[in-house]
Amino acid sequence: MTVKEFFKSNAFKSLAVLICIVLVAGLLLAIFNDLLYISDEERLNRTLSSIYGEEVTAEPVELAEDEKEYSYGTVNAVYHIVEDGNYLFQTTGTGGFRDGNGKVTLWTVIACTGTREGGDLVLTGIEKVVYDSNEGQSYIANLNDAFYNFFAEHDELIAGGGYFEAVSGGTGDLNNVATGASQSSNAACNAVNVALACFRTVFIGGDA
Amino acid sequence: MNARKYGKIAYDGLITNNATFKLVLGTCATLGMSTSAVNSFGMGLSVTVVLLLSNVIISLLRKVIPNTVRIPAFIVIIATMVTLLRMVLEKYIPDLYDSMGVFLPLIVVNCVILGRAEAFASKNPVLDSAIDGVATGLGLTFALTVIGIIREFLGSGSFFGMQVMDFRIGFFTNAAGAFFVYGICIALFVLITNQIDKARRAKHARMLRVPSHDKPLPSPETAPTPDGEVK
Repeated sequence: MTVKEFFKSNAFKSLAVLICIVLVAGLLLAIFNDLLYISDEERLNRTLSSIYGEEVTAEPVELAEDEKEYSYGTVNAVYHIVEDGNYLFQTTGTGGFRDGNGKVTLWTVIACTGTREGGDLVLTGIEKVVYDSNEGQSYIANLNDAFYNFFAEHDELIAGGGYFEAVSGGTGDLNNVATGASQSSNAACNAVNVALACFRTVFIGGDA
Repeated sequence: MNARKYGKIAYDGLITNNATFKLVLGTCATLGMSTSAVNSFGMGLSVTVVLLLSNVIISLLRKVIPNTVRIPAFIVIIATMVTLLRMVLEKYIPDLYDSMGVFLPLIVVNCVILGRAEAFASKNPVLDSAIDGVATGLGLTFALTVIGIIREFLGSGSFFGMQVMDFRIGFFTNAAGAFFVYGICIALFVLITNQIDKARRAKHARMLRVPSHDKPLPSPETAPTPDGEVK
């Protein structure tokens, strides 16, 4: 086949059309990606308004690397809410769907009294838990409002040092399992537990 | 003539070839997303938008795309539309974006979309393909929403997120419950459409049997015998 024949062939036409489609698609996506970009600040503001229903001031709290890692999850970010003195944690829990490798990321508002600087910080409970994102959790939609509200309804047990669990058919007072999504529930509970553990060990001081 | 043709395309997409209840396509998303009516409705509308856009683009390019590479070309176009939809949903409807989870990117491989691209859009003009996309999408939205309403009501005791009952039957939020409700819905849909078809055929047959002349047909009593005598 000569070069001229190649450029007239069906193979060349197929290649050219495919490349053109891919280029146009890539250009379109690049433009829209720029137009519809969501900054970290915008994401945080969205989360804060979905939690508080109004604008609040959130100051980032710096943590050392070893203070962020736990055996069942990670602390991604912590904010101190100026208005009410509570702490907002963004944490990722492991142990979700897909052989326990799936992850669920949540925002957890830890309610407390006192100040960290004053050394009189006391954990009083969880004010709210809001969903953020997930990795490979097909049934995340099964985690409904009742599931997330459960975390904020057991202040006494949390203040007493309790942690949540997600055991199917379990009878524990802090057992929280959404029907049809027990592994995603486990990852979500782990995310909340990471926030609790971090607050207890890093902010208050002591064993998790 | 055109209105009749477009009406037929729309009726096919909505009823005769309903993607969910008749062709049983896109089952993965149907079963996974129908735990609540809102999610089902959102998923249905998302698929409708992708179907409309991909059908229009594929129909426009149908004479340009060589037959041998049509499937990869369709996949690239559909994937682009789905990614655009993802961006728009994440920006403007984040709640729906979050609730759809992994099923949103999976629209790329939804066989309803590729099926319509291959079977219809690649062979028909733009307007026909657009109508087909919208009709097929709305048929899918209807089916998903019906399944979502039933599963949400029985599984969570709520209707479009509003709590209306205290009871909950966990079975209906599981995969097994999804299959059960899906099967029952298919059976009912086929039963109803068959009855309508039967009634339509009977009406058509009656119309064909109506005599074209005004003279009444002779009754058996007055009908002439073979030898010409009247009884």
